[in-house]
Amino acid sequence: MADRPCDITDLGNGRYRVSDAARQRLAHAAGPPEARWVFLDGRVYVIDTRGPAPAAAGARGRAHDDEMALASPMPATVAAIHVTVGQTVAQGDLLVMLEAMKMELPITAPRDGRVRVVRCAPGELVQPGVALVELE
Amino acid sequence: MFRRLLIANRGEIAVRIIRACRELGIESVAVYSDADARAPHVALADRALRIGPPPPLQSYLAVEAVLGAARESGADAVHPGYGFLAENARFAAACVEAGLVFVGPPAAVIARLGSKIAARQVAAEAGIPVVPGAIPADQRDETIALAARRVGFPVLIKPAEGGGGIGMKAVHDEATLGAATAQARREATAAFGDGTLYVERLIERPRHVELQVLVDHDGRVVHLFERECSLQRRHQKIVEESPSTALTPRLRARMGEAAVALARAPAYRNAGTVEFLLDGAGDDARFYFLEMNTRLQVEHPVTEQVTGIDIVQAQIAIAAGEPLPWSQDEITQRGHAIEVRVYAEDPAHNDLPQAGPLLLYREPTLPGVRIDSGVVEGGDIPVQYDPLIAKLVAWADTREAARRRALAALRTCPILGVKTNIPFLIALLEHPRVVAGAIDTGLVNEERRALLDRSTGDPPPEAVAVAMAASDAPQTRPAPHGAVDPWVRLRGWRG
Repeated sequence: MADRPCDITDLGNGRYRVSDAARQRLAHAAGPPEARWVFLDGRVYVIDTRGPAPAAAGARGRAHDDEMALASPMPATVAAIHVTVGQTVAQGDLLVMLEAMKMELPITAPRDGRVRVVRCAPGELVQPGVALVELE
Repeated sequence: MFRRLLIANRGEIAVRIIRACRELGIESVAVYSDADARAPHVALADRALRIGPPPPLQSYLAVEAVLGAARESGADAVHPGYGFLAENARFAAACVEAGLVFVGPPAAVIARLGSKIAARQVAAEAGIPVVPGAIPADQRDETIALAARRVGFPVLIKPAEGGGGIGMKAVHDEATLGAATAQARREATAAFGDGTLYVERLIERPRHVELQVLVDHDGRVVHLFERECSLQRRHQKIVEESPSTALTPRLRARMGEAAVALARAPAYRNAGTVEFLLDGAGDDARFYFLEMNTRLQVEHPVTEQVTGIDIVQAQIAIAAGEPLPWSQDEITQRGHAIEVRVYAEDPAHNDLPQAGPLLLYREPTLPGVRIDSGVVEGGDIPVQYDPLIAKLVAWADTREAARRRALAALRTCPILGVKTNIPFLIALLEHPRVVAGAIDTGLVNEERRALLDRSTGDPPPEAVAVAMAASDAPQTRPAPHGAVDPWVRLRGWRG
């Protein structure tokens, strides 16, 4: 995507005016530098502003993607573990079944791989953001 | 009329009921768990009582705690909202025993219609078509498999109790039946404390169309036309509208008569919703009774906007013994209303519920847009409850105008700090089949990939520039709790 020059004006209270040669728009932002939330044109982005090349939360390479995909999205209870260490899994295979908010939440393999570590046990209450299984 | 009404609920629906009380001159009593001590419904009510710790079983589902609050506050009536205790016959009976008026139908009617099996019998006796189905004689896997074979695949395995799509499994062949049965049973047991299952023919590509009814204590019944609720994800509605693009005047009249007949059958009282599956569209379409919800629905505002009738106030008036003030032909459906449900959820990850702080939350204030919400900037979306943030209802003279109005409102509704489905809802309202009104209950899942592609992706340079500019400015801090007058925040709400 070609960089288009634009001016950002802080309007206060989390509001920003984005203007370029063609038009001006209103944006909103809040949150800490490592996870700054931005609302623009009905879309929401979480941006790490600390690095030299800021990128979207969804574009940080395989290790980060794995960590997100293999973690519970919310506090949940481990209902069952469907894999063992050393087992080869294919993308989409069920690894762990969680339960939260009256629902079963399947954690599936984000890619083909082999199970290196299982970091949870049946019945355990797990928190979001921590990988439940690691793939080689 | 009542003097003081206790609202046995939280969130946007508690706020909605408080508003109705205020307009009727009734004192409102809120209840809250520790997770909601600073929630808007607590601040808005005339009085608020703590009923327990955050887990619903120890607070909003704790019958004794809620009744204790009613006693302590001197309330003379209880409105259950939706969810929690709203369809709990034991709670309705306990209210009456405690000398309170329960705003809803009698406990016996709730019990009868709350069981899908008994409700089907009520419908069949009233001469209303039901989806072919079978009640397994017992709940062994073999008996359920036998019932599925008799009904004919594809089938839907459903919990006999409960609703909201929880535990419902579509099964297309015998090979996957065992696993689906086990999972449905586990989910039903966990959610409703009852693993009883029921088998029904799966109608492919149906629409979900429901009729709102009101019944007074003399047994007078009116319907308030239909709500089209086909846009669902995982059997839960996300967009509702009235009128439905599938109904012709003749079909609407037939469905209205069926809904009224059903409400007459079990001596129904108060507000209720008769849900139908619609196979086809127009005069020749077939409709089947699905279930009757014995409570206020989440999506009641679309009906309020096209009929001009305040359903919550009508519920309270009926419970107080007042007769319905309108006859059927005095009720009209005018213009078009579309509701979108803004959820704290991540459409890119199976719609998983999200919880967290609302760093920034600004509701649009536009003509023809009503926002029903129960949150404020600086508050939290707690993990314990339904992740509905707000309902955004747009109405206009035509469907297309209402759709564009809903889109404009979603584009000016910044919510930061928790992921929401707003970008997904925008993509959905722009989808050609939604624009054309050619929808069915499978649309959202079939088009999920395309909808996600249109609603997610790397930030454009302008968004990155905003993020960088914001980092140089003083940190935006959420307003401290209580510093924002919730009434100010709810300004756009009455329309």
